[in-house]
Amino acid sequence: MEPKLIDHLFRHHYGKMVSVLVRIFGLPHLETIEDAIQDTFIKATLSWKNNTPQNPEAWLTQAAKNRVLDLFRKLTAQKKRVPHIASGIDTIAIQELFLDTEIEDSQLRMIFTACHPYLSPKDRIAFALKTVSGFSSKEIAAALLTKEETIKKRISRARASIQKENIRFQIPKGKALAKRLDSVMEVLYLIFNEGFHSTKKEIIVRKELCSEAMRLCKMVLNHQNTKTPKVYALFAIMCFHAARIDSKTTHDNQLLDLQHQDRSKWYFPLINLGNTAMHKAVETDTFSTYHYEAAIAAEHLKAKTFEDTNWKAILHWYECLHKLQATPIHLLNMAVVQLQDSRFRESYQLLQQLDPESLGQRSYLYYATVSEYHSTQKEYAEAIVHIEIALRLVTNQQEKEYLEKKRIALIL
Amino acid sequence: MKEFMMIFTGADYADLGLSPEELQSRMGKWFSWGEKMEKAGVLRGGNALTPNIRRVSGQNRTVTDLTSAEVKEIVGGYYLVEAKDVDHVQEIAQDFPDYDLGGTVEIREIMVFDK
Repeated sequence: MEPKLIDHLFRHHYGKMVSVLVRIFGLPHLETIEDAIQDTFIKATLSWKNNTPQNPEAWLTQAAKNRVLDLFRKLTAQKKRVPHIASGIDTIAIQELFLDTEIEDSQLRMIFTACHPYLSPKDRIAFALKTVSGFSSKEIAAALLTKEETIKKRISRARASIQKENIRFQIPKGKALAKRLDSVMEVLYLIFNEGFHSTKKEIIVRKELCSEAMRLCKMVLNHQNTKTPKVYALFAIMCFHAARIDSKTTHDNQLLDLQHQDRSKWYFPLINLGNTAMHKAVETDTFSTYHYEAAIAAEHLKAKTFEDTNWKAILHWYECLHKLQATPIHLLNMAVVQLQDSRFRESYQLLQQLDPESLGQRSYLYYATVSEYHSTQKEYAEAIVHIEIALRLVTNQQEKEYLEKKRIALIL
Repeated sequence: MKEFMMIFTGADYADLGLSPEELQSRMGKWFSWGEKMEKAGVLRGGNALTPNIRRVSGQNRTVTDLTSAEVKEIVGGYYLVEAKDVDHVQEIAQDFPDYDLGGTVEIREIMVFDK
């Protein structure tokens, strides 16, 4: 078997195995469990070198069951607290946990554990990617553009908080559920965006993050109590964006804006999946920010060409979004949309109301938009001044190159 | 094909003072038996029961709480299997791991009215 396939299989099984074993032994033994599974993978790599089992999945499930026995022996010998086994008959209950539906339930519990409010938001993402999705600290660091050390710290801090606060391995109920579900959605959305907006050259890493976020989101949608219209809306956003992932960069990793993307490269099965999710998402009276973001993404996908884009509809959705969640970035987006719709005066008024400082790290987007406005008015000197400010402020290499190309076009 | 219940009256591991190794090996046997039935496609489900018993009895609905220690033979759990006949289940039950510890298997057919 190819090493790449083995990696994928291990990553996939890591989350399953950790979740099932934690369900049996409890979160206090999380670290011991993770070590045991790591160990299993090392053993598998060694023993598969010469002959890969016919059914590697079954091999790993068997290995997980063996780990249950090992852990019982190990923890009992250490006089640690283990579930009480009164007789062999009790193993019937443990065996049940290895059924597919139960494994999925355990994984969902792990997602909800990772998103517990006692964990800081950054720790949640690192911990989820490690414990639920089986990424290594190194891979997480690469994906999130941070140092491996930082990721390790975040993971151990998350583990410590789980122990300290004695977090239960459960999907919360009632009022607590709605709140925690919001946090779960936030984490999934962030994981997806890290993948979608990542500037990593390796498209593989970006796709892995996106597809992982989608897989987890689907899992949340599979559960009776957590399949809410809001989660469907989030899933729709992911589908709509993911459909475009291959067309947003050139073969040499240069950023392509919507205007220049090859629309024939959009992946239609995902768009259809997004539309199906959207139908379920709107079965409610209260729309969330996810609903409006999905509506905006859908509107872009509906247009056969860039020129066909229904800017008025998009502006409307942005206005709804801004009403629900007033942020400067939505205002800026509205200004961009108005520019596209040739409503120059309105766009300019909106831009003047905006304080670029309020956009923080994204203030370069403001200057780029002001430049764009001047360019539409043929005020090229002003346009150049502003694109240069934007260039000074942008940090992302891909976007820098993109703006630089615009600057050169203005000078020529 | 008919459905049968194998009802287990088990030996209490705690009473027997099993070592961690013995416990592991016992549990391993239970796992293998379950997997064997699964592979053969005969397993339809099963449950283990906790040892706490609340017994309601008599005209006065007298309530007694009991634990396994107070009951001679306590039902610990069951497996549901699909089989041709009771002899077939008896064959399946050969692999029950705890005969040597005094455990027993009782085989009962699930009653069906389908006329």
